[in-house]
Amino acid sequence: MLVGIPLEQSNSVVKPKDCAGEMSGYIVSIAENRCKRSFARIFSYFAPRLRSYALKQMGNEALAMELVQDTMSNVWQKAHLFNAEKGSPSTWIFTIARNIRFDMLRKLQNRKEDVCSDDLWPVLCEQTADANEASLDEQITLEQIGFMFESLPVKQKAVIEAIYIDGKSQQEVADELSIPLGTVKSRTRLALQRLKVMLNDHD
Amino acid sequence: MIKFHPDPEQLSLYVQGGLTPVESLMVRAHCDYCDRCSKVVHEKTVLLGEKFASENVLAAETRAVHTSTNLSAIFDEIVKSPASNAVPPPKKMPTTVELDGRRFVLPRTLRKFISSVGNWSSLVGKVWQAPVKLGGAQIANLVYIGQHGEIPEHTHKGVETTLVLKGEFKDGINAYQPGDYIRMSGTDTHTPYTDSPQGCLIFSVLDQPLQFTCGIAKFINPFSAVYFR
Ligand SMILES: [Zn+2]
Repeated sequence: MLVGIPLEQSNSVVKPKDCAGEMSGYIVSIAENRCKRSFARIFSYFAPRLRSYALKQMGNEALAMELVQDTMSNVWQKAHLFNAEKGSPSTWIFTIARNIRFDMLRKLQNRKEDVCSDDLWPVLCEQTADANEASLDEQITLEQIGFMFESLPVKQKAVIEAIYIDGKSQQEVADELSIPLGTVKSRTRLALQRLKVMLNDHD
Repeated sequence: MIKFHPDPEQLSLYVQGGLTPVESLMVRAHCDYCDRCSKVVHEKTVLLGEKFASENVLAAETRAVHTSTNLSAIFDEIVKSPASNAVPPPKKMPTTVELDGRRFVLPRTLRKFISSVGNWSSLVGKVWQAPVKLGGAQIANLVYIGQHGEIPEHTHKGVETTLVLKGEFKDGINAYQPGDYIRMSGTDTHTPYTDSPQGCLIFSVLDQPLQFTCGIAKFINPFSAVYFR
């Protein structure tokens, strides 16, 4: 089947906010069905705007087109990482483009840093799409808890660390430490109570 | 309670991707601690995304007409490519650094770079540092100040950015706590010290080596490039 790029109605000025729901639907349909027609809609809306953004940022047609191509490729290939609950299609596509631009400039400026856009804005990391990923609030709490770790009794610390940092299940921890599951549970509960008290004192 | 944040301009640059990689890393690590700045970053990202997507349709289209061949060629090439469904196994990342048997949990953003942390060496008195090899010209260090330890008074040739990771330090002007983000430059002079029993761990990034300004520290000044590299 031949799928063309539908041209936008020249007189329609569609605000991205107004069509976020529609655009989200297209991205979901790309993820689920590899739907070229949906991709064509996304492409016709965003590619010219990406090009415009890229020209301003890179000031060079060839580089701008490279940025357009890389960004849209990611949208096509990694549509399954889009999560409408976390943000609109505009935000998602902008952050992909911003990241690609960041890495392109790093290369062009011959920067030697080992820090890349993935480290700074993990937009396309498989892990961030994981439902098990702690929300930002939880992460922050986890960080704060991290600093209170050292005052926990060694046994409780080991259990908390295995569960909350290494992401192991209570059963795995029980197997690994050769202790009953009930003991893991009680140590976890005691440690959390203790951390909670410390967090409250901390505020 | 975090009292020192990157300024709004810096947060904007961060969102645009306009800071250097290491500066960006500092801002993100601060956001690991700071709800307020995380929220600002999120809001600024949404705004920029909307601005990007609201670009005048007509103008964008007119320009697109000239290159429509290019764009449709890109479209055709992209849809030939398969979806990338390969989910890499989540890497077990270390979360702590160790000094003298003490373990420090690092904020999420810095954990990726734990393998780049070099050996600890004594700087002066109770001050220890370990280089974090991030590549590039900027010099990044983990610095641990033990109780009653002090970094000799110094000024900055370039910009020194500091993020407090654990404990508290004072510099005669303010007290700084985990998450506090401090930028010092040019004429700023300070003498960071700590009296907290657990000491203080900071992450410090320098554009250029420190210049020590007084006392015995003057003697090590010529070597500060070595100490802080
Ligand atoms: Zn902040």
